[in-house]
Amino acid sequence: MPFRGRLWLLVAWLAVLALLGGFVVHRLRISTDLRSFMPSPTTPDQRLLMEQVGEGPGSRLLLLAITGPSEAQLGTLSQQLAAALHKDERYSQVLNGSFDLTALDPALLPYRYLLSPTLDSATFDAPFLRDQLEQRLDDLSSPGASLLKGLLPRDPTLEVLKLAERWAPAKSPELREGVWFSAQGEALLVVQTRAAGFDPDAQANAIDGIRQAFDALPDHAGATLSFSGPGYFSVVAATQTRGQAEWIGRVSTVGFIVLLLLAYRSVGSLLLSALPIASAALAGIAALVLLFPQVHGITLAFGFTLLGVAQEYPIRVLSHRRAGEDAVQSVRDLWPLLLTAIASACIAYLAFYASGVSGLRQLAVFTITGLLVAGFSTRYLLPHLLPARVRDVAPMPWLVAARRTVDALPRPRWIPLVVALATVLMLGLAQGPFWQNDLAALTPLPHELLQRDAHLRDALGAPDVRYLLILEAPTEQGVLALSERIEPEVTALVARHAVDAVELPSRYLPSEAVQRARQQKLPSREALEQALAEAQQGLPFQHGLFAPFLDDVETARSLPLLTPERFAASPLGQRLAAMLVERDGRWLGLGTLSGVHDVAALQQLAHASGGAVRLLDLKDAAESLVVDYRARILRALLAATVLLVVAISVALRSLRRAWHVLAPMTLATFLVLAVERVAGVEISLFHLVALILAAGLGLHYALFFERDTGDAAEQRRTLHATLVCVLSALLVFGMLAWSSIPVLRAIGLTVSLGVAFHFCLSIVMAPHARKD
Amino acid sequence: MLLCSLTLSLCANASAPEDAVTARSVVASLGRPAPARTPFAEARFMKMLDQPLVVSGQLSWLGDDRLERAVDHPNREVSTIADGQVTQQREGRPPRSFSLKRAPQLQLLLDSFVALLGGDSTRLEQAFTIQYHGDDARRWTLALTPRDPTLAHTVSRIEIDGRGTEPRCMRMQEADGDLAVDLLGELSGKMPAAPTRDGLAALCQGG
Repeated sequence: MPFRGRLWLLVAWLAVLALLGGFVVHRLRISTDLRSFMPSPTTPDQRLLMEQVGEGPGSRLLLLAITGPSEAQLGTLSQQLAAALHKDERYSQVLNGSFDLTALDPALLPYRYLLSPTLDSATFDAPFLRDQLEQRLDDLSSPGASLLKGLLPRDPTLEVLKLAERWAPAKSPELREGVWFSAQGEALLVVQTRAAGFDPDAQANAIDGIRQAFDALPDHAGATLSFSGPGYFSVVAATQTRGQAEWIGRVSTVGFIVLLLLAYRSVGSLLLSALPIASAALAGIAALVLLFPQVHGITLAFGFTLLGVAQEYPIRVLSHRRAGEDAVQSVRDLWPLLLTAIASACIAYLAFYASGVSGLRQLAVFTITGLLVAGFSTRYLLPHLLPARVRDVAPMPWLVAARRTVDALPRPRWIPLVVALATVLMLGLAQGPFWQNDLAALTPLPHELLQRDAHLRDALGAPDVRYLLILEAPTEQGVLALSERIEPEVTALVARHAVDAVELPSRYLPSEAVQRARQQKLPSREALEQALAEAQQGLPFQHGLFAPFLDDVETARSLPLLTPERFAASPLGQRLAAMLVERDGRWLGLGTLSGVHDVAALQQLAHASGGAVRLLDLKDAAESLVVDYRARILRALLAATVLLVVAISVALRSLRRAWHVLAPMTLATFLVLAVERVAGVEISLFHLVALILAAGLGLHYALFFERDTGDAAEQRRTLHATLVCVLSALLVFGMLAWSSIPVLRAIGLTVSLGVAFHFCLSIVMAPHARKD
Repeated sequence: MLLCSLTLSLCANASAPEDAVTARSVVASLGRPAPARTPFAEARFMKMLDQPLVVSGQLSWLGDDRLERAVDHPNREVSTIADGQVTQQREGRPPRSFSLKRAPQLQLLLDSFVALLGGDSTRLEQAFTIQYHGDDARRWTLALTPRDPTLAHTVSRIEIDGRGTEPRCMRMQEADGDLAVDLLGELSGKMPAAPTRDGLAALCQGG
């Protein structure tokens, strides 16, 4: 192609990339919710788990501790911080122990007669009121008088205090300076975020908001604020992973560039060979943008890793160029093999699409689009741009020597058998569980953080994140009624120390039936006035003192019953709303448990309810989810394997040749698995993903080594290309293997081992090369 | 002398350094070994009541920060302050308890009472600014103002009247105008049937 034509092609290609880039930047919406990388739930428990993991009341709690020089300062800071956060839209609840009447919205105050259980057993008649007033006189002469002096005119029966007692956390920390303090002298706060717990970006935003509010307080100097809770952990894990991945990525990119420069000694070739990869990445993202409303951050991270396979295409072209030969001609010779490689990689990634997990589907769309674009641009665009004259790698002395050594290697027929036998033995002898079912094991947190969380959770009486009591009924009111029904049994369990505390929805809001019954027992204004006058006789209370009480009771008589929707306007209603979930036209109530000591007793309670009440073990549900997920991926992989065998056999038009390609690949894959098992590694989903990537690379090696051109120089070029590919893969993934984060280590170790085994086995098991 | 006792605060201010020393020696002289018990009668004047509430019983310092207030009349009730927790027990009802931090009056009562009975003037000075008025060591008044601004918000002033080494009277003036007067020791038997603020003040300061 003439120079002018090449220039135009280059400009046009770059222009298309720029357009794609502009489109992607404009339209790309990145989501960070980790749940789109979890399998879609199938059982009701699993579905509940997925919701709870992200949005359940427990997962949205941030536990805050303020440490500082003086208790007085900490108390003030706690109050000021709570006041600042109350005003912020990002937080649905802020608790620091200072219970005041504002917990019950002033507009809702008359509702106390419908919410408090007093009227279940008493009526507001003269004897009851007399008894209450006499008790209040005793209260006024007792040391605690100041606690209720302000309340008395409006609430002589102290319903507000009864509700406060009912709503106070079952096990609350010590109050000092009017706010919660831990035994270690830290001021404690609990903040519930609106953002989902497993959305690291939204949580990071919520945490930053708290930090800023704290830093803006006038006397925060000398005091420090620290965090705990699921949301904070997801932020820590995401930051750690991102930090290490970026650092490793930078180092391996530099290494990769140096390697390619050493191998081809041409900056021009290096830059041009980056074009197919850039096109692949941009086209992949564009496809995602077109097909999905949001693209997951992890899809992009993993996707770029998996696109590493595509880097092989230009490398193969560069290594296989002959002196004086047109690049277009070189590519034409390579194309059938390259096409087979592209097609088989695409088939392997189709397995991800079949897994049914939205994140993995995105990953499949991204990589398959990317591989096709990289492959076809390497075939039809790149060769026209490459310089006409290049240095042929074939005559390089070290390569000649290397090829000779490789060819001289003994290739006894029993090698595959021995390797297979060793693999089976190692798999059989490996100790410990085969699969890693615990999702948490993949996002490790420093031990101190977990200990601190346990300590804060214990001090605050915050709910256990593992167990939930599920109450199911056809309607919302049905759930509340069911909750009222089991309340006595639950109280008995708490008394027996089977569990420290249980929080049921009816604790915050009685069912309408109960509210109606209480409302109907409220006397008319005249009746109450009369009863009160009779009760007050001979007592020193001032005349007319209880007018606010009479007004509130009168108001309560005609109040519309308090529904969860109406209640939701207040902070406590928010808490209730989080405990009531609609599902397929039925309603679920979520009872949180703190300090579970006797699971069997709770199961017994659930069992006795005849299915209306269930004890959900979130850990069990999570593990069953992972097992389902794996089974699905394994099935998809099996199907992909069958397709792969067919595709390769058709492409090579020979079962024998297909065997030479597929046998080393399969054997190496199982060998990686066996070695990891013997080393005590439990296999997680990330190991499976990495095994597939390694198998894709191994397939390339086997395909190219199997090719018998009858030309020794061409065989040397194949070795050169494969060596460059193997070294670059080892460089990138070997770096990941050193990471301290299990997800990255799993991928790095598996791919590095895989690349090494695939390379060795495909050389040793290749049909014997002819001697020069 | 008469002039001086009429303008008590003026005298106190005029001779502050010596009075601080005297106050310390008075407080030190009040100290006695725990447990120390004294009968008391209390009248509480409150805005929301037509008449004061009157109760009587026994106050006991049990050592350290433990105080017991046992009411015998009109209804039996025992309140105990121990380990930062207040527990109230009434006949025929389950005991109730709450944190001392929620009841600032109690905190002040504890601070002043324990310091007085322990003869611990340092502790007293930590919690309060002290003004001492007295003609001689036989007859004196300590006026205590809480140093903690939040506590001062509820209780503006505590006055303790005494004679020799005996505290006789404790008046707690609340910021909202309510007043509690405790007659201690032998004076506790002299609570009038219908007490008034002025009558009790005269009783405390007078003979």
